[in-house]
Amino acid sequence: MAVDTIPPLINAQLNYLRSNAPFSIKVEQMWSGCRNPSLIDRFTLAIPFCLDYIKWDVIYNAQNPLAAPDVIFGPEDEAFHPFRGMREESLSNSKKNCLLEWNYKDPACLLTLILQLRDLYMVYQKQRVGEVDDERLKFELGTIISKEGLEMYMSSGVEKPEEVRFAVPLLGMDINKIVIGSSWRQQQKIYLQVIFPVVGKFTNKPPVPRLKLVSTPDLRAVLSVEDVRLLPWSDGMCLAEYLPTLEELLASQIKDAVTLIELRRQFIVALAPFFGRPLEADSVFCRKASFLSVSGIFTFVVHFALTLQFPKQPPLLVLQSSQHFDLRGAAIKSSSLTEYPWSPRWDVSEMAERIFDFVADECLNFRKICNESVHQQQR
Amino acid sequence: MEASEGHITTPPPPPPAPYTLPPSSYASEDIIFCIDTDSECLKEMKVGGPAGPFTRLDTMKQSILMFINAKLAINSDHRFAFCAIGKNTYWLQKDFSSRSDFAFIAFTKITELSSSDQADLTQLFRAAAHEAKKSRAQNRILRLVLLYCRSSVTPYHRWPVTEKLFTLDVMYLHDKPGPENCPQKVYDALVDTLEQVSEYEGYIFETGQGLPRIIFRHMCVLLSHPQQRCVQDDIDIPKSLTRKPPASETTTGSEVQGSSQ
Repeated sequence: MAVDTIPPLINAQLNYLRSNAPFSIKVEQMWSGCRNPSLIDRFTLAIPFCLDYIKWDVIYNAQNPLAAPDVIFGPEDEAFHPFRGMREESLSNSKKNCLLEWNYKDPACLLTLILQLRDLYMVYQKQRVGEVDDERLKFELGTIISKEGLEMYMSSGVEKPEEVRFAVPLLGMDINKIVIGSSWRQQQKIYLQVIFPVVGKFTNKPPVPRLKLVSTPDLRAVLSVEDVRLLPWSDGMCLAEYLPTLEELLASQIKDAVTLIELRRQFIVALAPFFGRPLEADSVFCRKASFLSVSGIFTFVVHFALTLQFPKQPPLLVLQSSQHFDLRGAAIKSSSLTEYPWSPRWDVSEMAERIFDFVADECLNFRKICNESVHQQQR
Repeated sequence: MEASEGHITTPPPPPPAPYTLPPSSYASEDIIFCIDTDSECLKEMKVGGPAGPFTRLDTMKQSILMFINAKLAINSDHRFAFCAIGKNTYWLQKDFSSRSDFAFIAFTKITELSSSDQADLTQLFRAAAHEAKKSRAQNRILRLVLLYCRSSVTPYHRWPVTEKLFTLDVMYLHDKPGPENCPQKVYDALVDTLEQVSEYEGYIFETGQGLPRIIFRHMCVLLSHPQQRCVQDDIDIPKSLTRKPPASETTTGSEVQGSSQ
């Protein structure tokens, strides 16, 4: 039985794309287009665009792996014809049409092609949005068109209302620098997703757009943008007015988030006089720490997990035995412990002392549970 | 300093500095376990199961599984590989993985238990250094945890002192000291090796008591992340959680000098 393989030249292109893309491009499915069904030479890429994904099929030919691939766009984009009618001079010097100059020996070719096509797709969508016959939309677009990193998408189709979606980057600040010690490789950003229904005539009561805050995934360790309560969109509101107030709100949320990192750090440090030096503690976001404790001859690990709602929410505790194992050979763990005396108004030393008292009592229960569990296995 | 009754008192060492957690990034670990498969690993422990007493090898394997479980609960990004040292050094599972079931597969590859009066660690260190370079390229750090169990064979190495590319920890299981063996000499050689080879502070623990729970406890201390460790003398864990002072664990003459409980 033949194992599915990707021809090496094609595989090299795909691996380079996966490792070097500036944002996360997913390979959705892979299949064969040639007579030998175990040679994989076609795949679908899901490319982030305007806070969603566009899906393009990349079609190589396993019988001729030196040739450049074809790219098939989605059914909504029949009008997207990159490279057609574009003369060499109209593209900047560094962006030659890489399909014309496909160098099969260079593993970066596929990524270069995809990024180039994505840039051209952005231009195409900008044109489509610009052509929409909606006065209010034209006005809103005019106020944000110069924002660096803005992306937009025109969605239409059978049985779908026409809508325009904007991904508006917020806050010019470098968020990466604000969190000390972070080793984020990607630039962290927050966007406002704004979806305007297309209505055509200018009315006195234009429909309220749908609004959502979206951040890059790594930022969730510090701030959950989904929990930020958005300001309401009042009558007569427009983006030129809405955005600055929102950015002020976000700047203050980020400031609060950084203060909370420091509070979590102080709490972890306050645990050390009671629980000893941690085995390992998250020194950047201060979201977790694990300690080694003993009660009599029972040695166990205490895992602390701190949510973004700390200190309103108490830490989640899990105890893990070093001496008791289940039938799969895994060390026995307690359930997550969150019900214990707690007040966010205590100072960190008192929080630590109270938790110490709780764990000192609870570990006796835990040891009983561990012993019973092992006893039951031996029956 | 006062001399009284012929004793000279020296001032106690200063207490260790209080714990701090500065905002600096730290790396995920690639950890290689090296199991000593010399025939001494078949010696029996004092505790057993329905099939009979556990061997040192059984306990070493169990303690590694426990370690992996706990380490992944601390941070699921750490990874593990496995090798063994008998007459020679050989890989059991070379590719790093964070899947705990790979340990079971690796253990099945321990086939030969041999007896050797030599323990040259050079090849082991060479392999670890080679992996360390790859780990570093992925923003990880490499650690070698050696589980050694020979009571009369002093290990040696020809690894250059300038090459400190990985952290070395040692768990030493041995017989009670007697006229026929030299666990103290072995222990001292391992301590020197740690100092010569280890990038970050390496820890060494030993026991001759034959009690698995003591080995598990020491392996738990080895869970500590090398980039966040204090020096071994200042280790204050595991800390007792009982509100009254705990009954002290008895130490018999089977412990060697320099141990920490």
